[in-house]
Amino acid sequence: MIKRPFFERIKPLLYLLPFIISVVIFTLYPIVNVIRMSFLEGYKYLTGAYTGVGLENYQKVFADPYFRQALGNTFKYVLCVVPISTAIAVVLANLLNQKIKFQAFFQTAYFLPMVTSSLAVGLAWRFMFNDKIGILNYILGLIGLEPVNWLGQSSGNFMAVVVFGIWSILPNTIILLLSGLQNIDPMYYTAAKVDGAKTLRIFFRITVPLLAPTIMLVIIINSINTFKMYHELFPLFSGPGVAYNLFTVVYYIYYEFRVLTPPKYGLASAAAVMLLITVFGFTMLQRAVQAWARRERGEDGKDKKRK
Amino acid sequence: MKIRLENIVKRFRDNTAVDHFSAEIESGELVTLLGPSGCGKSTMLNMLSGILYPTEGKIYFDEDDVTFVSSEKRGIGLVFQNYALYPHMTVLENICFPLEIKKVPKAERIEKAKKMAELVHVDTMLNRKPGQLSGGQQQRVAIARALVKEPRLLLLDEPLSNLDARLRIEMREEIRRIQLETGVTTIFVTHDQEEAMSISDHIILMKLGVLQQFDKPQYLYDQPANCFVADFLGNPPINKVEAVVKNGKVILADGSDSGVRLEGHDDQKVWLSFRSESVLYEPDSQLKATAIMTSVMGKEKITAFDLAGKEVRGYFDSSLDFERGQEVGIGFKKTGVFVFDYESGERYL
Ligand SMILES: Nc1ncnc2c1ncn2[C@@H]1O[C@H](COP(=O)(O)OP(=O)(O)O)[C@@H](O)[C@H]1O
Ligand SMILES: [Mg+2]
Repeated sequence: MIKRPFFERIKPLLYLLPFIISVVIFTLYPIVNVIRMSFLEGYKYLTGAYTGVGLENYQKVFADPYFRQALGNTFKYVLCVVPISTAIAVVLANLLNQKIKFQAFFQTAYFLPMVTSSLAVGLAWRFMFNDKIGILNYILGLIGLEPVNWLGQSSGNFMAVVVFGIWSILPNTIILLLSGLQNIDPMYYTAAKVDGAKTLRIFFRITVPLLAPTIMLVIIINSINTFKMYHELFPLFSGPGVAYNLFTVVYYIYYEFRVLTPPKYGLASAAAVMLLITVFGFTMLQRAVQAWARRERGEDGKDKKRK
Repeated sequence: MKIRLENIVKRFRDNTAVDHFSAEIESGELVTLLGPSGCGKSTMLNMLSGILYPTEGKIYFDEDDVTFVSSEKRGIGLVFQNYALYPHMTVLENICFPLEIKKVPKAERIEKAKKMAELVHVDTMLNRKPGQLSGGQQQRVAIARALVKEPRLLLLDEPLSNLDARLRIEMREEIRRIQLETGVTTIFVTHDQEEAMSISDHIILMKLGVLQQFDKPQYLYDQPANCFVADFLGNPPINKVEAVVKNGKVILADGSDSGVRLEGHDDQKVWLSFRSESVLYEPDSQLKATAIMTSVMGKEKITAFDLAGKEVRGYFDSSLDFERGQEVGIGFKKTGVFVFDYESGERYL
């Protein structure tokens, strides 16, 4: 065996180094550190001093009514935004996938939010939600409904943030679903049409089942993203709603870490670890679902060779 | 159901896929659309199914003009090359689906679907998904699904080309059996001449969108309308040598007399085409060919010769032995020997 020069052997490593360094510094180290901090009691960030090691932070977090509220809000938000946005996106993606007039126009219109700053868009929504000059209340007025104080009171502002959340999540979701739709062989539609199937039956009996793996994927990705809901709050309210009524888990972490004086690093870290576990759980779920989808289609290879 | 096609033309922009196609197909027959890839077979089939509409011409099912009737109103069953079975439905659900669309009551459609499954021999795998079936089984299910609504016409577009060679032979016999059992008028598309020869009542041979010949398989083989038909049918392919007609004699490129006689085409350049089984061993013949190699095929031998610079093949009794390089006198039978115009392919003999 010819021994390559030392430099030749480590050359690939050198190419990878910038990436490895950035992952270690900006991803791995913070994760490890957060996990460590979550177990330290009485931790001082600046001095690094702590009084003990244990589960105290987790007990405190679970006892904290703010955290419970944040957890409740987050779940409520996920449960509202994900199903509604997925349903809307499936219908819209299906329409965009048809050969329709102005297809390019509609596609651009739906993907525009992706290339605009979410802050600018959020501010625009803030005007639309405005209870006096906003277009939403104007429309409600036209159809004879009472105006809603979307942003100013704690009953309306949850709806406002859900509407905004759905709207901002749609483009990504539609793109994923469109690529799923384009993977469906048109011969299935031809076969169904020759047998006389109408649009609705084709949609529910063929399109949706064939799209199911993509729909599952979209649901899980969107759940992960909406679980981390946080930045949507700033353009709409400049904070977590009215009197903190829209606290979310990520906002709680930020709050404990940055807003409180003195900051409660332990609580923030424990909450962050909880979030990490939840998101990790969803990721595992996604893999399980994909494996299940493959099995459902008999693609696991075991039965394939049977003649 | 009888089908009448009148002067069908289909153009895609400036490309004419089907050109003035006329044919009448008798009820209950299995007719094959045969031709090389790209000759317009699928286009023709799609016009029969109503997936495409012709640019010109008329299509009649019995006495009804269905030229522009949409597919679901034509009462046809369609079988695709890739089966197009819905992967998320079981075999039973796949076969039931056309009946579900027609709003047939559930018990009735399951009963009908099971009968169909029995006919095509997939009744033991009703609860499997298509992904768990072999290609041949999938095609059987696809045929059951096409037949379950009792169509007036069954259309199959290259249904066997995704199967391996042995399964292809088994399935083509199955298709013929099912067709005969149900008596459904069937149009079968293929580019494989052997497949077409083995299962059809009639074959329509196409080239570049134009119908070349519409006849019984044996007639197509024995009496090809032109050089293309003769070239396309038969395995081994027909032998072809260049020749010129001089004083009523067909003379080969090296000046030797083939012994074939043709009146009225003096000084024309032609193809002399002959089937391998029409070559005779005639030791005294003026026409000589040089043996190249011999392969034994059961009770017969097939020998490749050099004849006037072209390689040709002939069948001989296995008792005959030709050595490589040996000069052999040959002649031709009365049948299976044709003369075609060199340019147009028009048949002279
Ligand atoms: N939708 C289409 N648009 C344009 N040209 C087409 C279309 N479908 C078929 N063609 C052309 O028509 C000709 C016949 O095609 P096809 O019927 O698919 O042939 P075959 O099935 O015999 O292989 C080909 O030259 C093909 O390129
Ligand atoms: Mg084709």
